[in-house]
Amino acid sequence: MPDFHPRIIGFLCNWCTYAAADLAGSSKLELPPEFTVIRVMCSSRIDHNLILSTFYRGADGILVAGCHPGDCHYGEGNYYARRRFALLKKVMETLDLEPERLELRWVSAAEGNRYAEVVNEFTDRIRKLGPSPIRTSTRL
Amino acid sequence: MAAVLPVGSDLSGAMNRFLKTILEKDIVDAVLMPMKVPSGDSFAWIIMSDSSIVDDAEAMAPVMPVQGARALRSLTRKGEGSIRVLALMRPCEIRAAIELSKLGQVKTENLILAAYDCPGAVPMDSFVSDPSSGEDLFRKMLAGEDVSAGEVKPSCTSCVEFSMTDADLHFGHFGLGGTEVLLIPGSPKGMEILEALELPADRETSIWDEAVRKRREKQVASRDAAFEETGENIRGVQGMLNVFADCISCRNCRAACPICYCRLCHFESETAKQDPNSRLDSAVTRGGISLPADRMLFHTGRMTHMSLSCVSCGQCSDACPADIPVAQVFSFVADRTQKAFEYSAGRNDGDPLPLRSFMKSELSGIHEMVSDAEPGGHAHE
Ligand code: SF4
Ligand code: SF4
Ligand code: FES
Repeated sequence: MPDFHPRIIGFLCNWCTYAAADLAGSSKLELPPEFTVIRVMCSSRIDHNLILSTFYRGADGILVAGCHPGDCHYGEGNYYARRRFALLKKVMETLDLEPERLELRWVSAAEGNRYAEVVNEFTDRIRKLGPSPIRTSTRL
Repeated sequence: MAAVLPVGSDLSGAMNRFLKTILEKDIVDAVLMPMKVPSGDSFAWIIMSDSSIVDDAEAMAPVMPVQGARALRSLTRKGEGSIRVLALMRPCEIRAAIELSKLGQVKTENLILAAYDCPGAVPMDSFVSDPSSGEDLFRKMLAGEDVSAGEVKPSCTSCVEFSMTDADLHFGHFGLGGTEVLLIPGSPKGMEILEALELPADRETSIWDEAVRKRREKQVASRDAAFEETGENIRGVQGMLNVFADCISCRNCRAACPICYCRLCHFESETAKQDPNSRLDSAVTRGGISLPADRMLFHTGRMTHMSLSCVSCGQCSDACPADIPVAQVFSFVADRTQKAFEYSAGRNDGDPLPLRSFMKSELSGIHEMVSDAEPGGHAHE
């Protein structure tokens, strides 16, 4: 699918991954234009409905990224986020809703390079997967 | 080990007598159990302190109109009561009550939860249209006679937790030929009741154990078959859309569910409302969208919100006016999500709710930078 330009949403924690995105940008690392960043205050801010509605509204892929375990600005937010994420993945897997379109990654504020790698790798994966079947459905 | 309650001619009657006795002897202050409504086509939960009313009640009702855990929640959501209440319910109702107690919605301190070997329930719609056939059918189910699966509430045909929950007291009657009931204490509270009645728990339970085991084997097979069918039907967006194609978004499934207790459901909140142009944009880019919107979001969202606590009681299916097998889908998903966290809804084993706890080192597969990370992973390692 040569001219497929996926719509990918990244929910990035303000304290770590968002800062890493900034660093990647100011280091002039190459980042995919299809990747739209939404800044959130913590990975634990992301609830299931936010992710599901983003898919239903047409996202082809969603990346949630926050501080490494142990480094959450609020202490334990990302541990809870990880459990919630595992649950949502399980539901998507059980319903065969292409769970590979959803990922969780830890990227710290200092990891500008890792940020670029994660985002490029994820975007490549979504490009290969093609458009989400949800995106074209008229009966949701 | 268990105490024995002799049965005269009528199993349910013997249980009624037992409940009457514990009220008369002030062992408990009130009993919560079903009573037939005056029109005879349904049952309601009545909490009774007067033992003479117990005569008109039914220890085991053929139908399951309001999930018992909802009744308990309406009683104790603001705190525990000051009198001791024994609630006699189906195992799935007891399990839902235990989930609700973990969620802070039912206070069990002054409650004695009692359950019985459940032969299944008659679907609400068929009972309402012909109560006397419904009662005949239920008598057959209680006696262990073969009835056709289509006559029984679908969730009951694949229920594997029809006996022995974490109740304080369990009435076991399977395999005993209707001549006795075993009173099996499940906690110190249950034990105290037997002691107050001077009923020694000295009976071996092996015959009953074996009957339960045999029945469970059968039920497991039919549940596995049901899961397989459901799993096939709901595959992918298209599968889900097909299964929920007739949904009219009435949200009765949520209203009947014992676990969905939120005062303001997310899907009714301001957050869930969307700008008209965002809907219209979707309609334009996709060529069309269906309204009312967010049907799939509602069902999949509810799944993620409550499937870890789903007790497979089947109330959602019973309540659905469009005959959608909601409970079959939710039970199937619940089975998978609960297994992923090694959690079993409705147990009193001290396991915290999975989303309210975590371990620092767990689920390692899901956040590493590998494209083939195993989804889900295992919560307890
Ligand atoms: S009860 Fe049935 S029709 Fe109503 S919202 Fe639930 S699935 Fe849809
Ligand atoms: S989702 Fe359905 S089967 Fe599960 S607890 Fe709620 S009403 Fe019962
Ligand atoms: S603040 Fe970054 S994950 Fe909680």
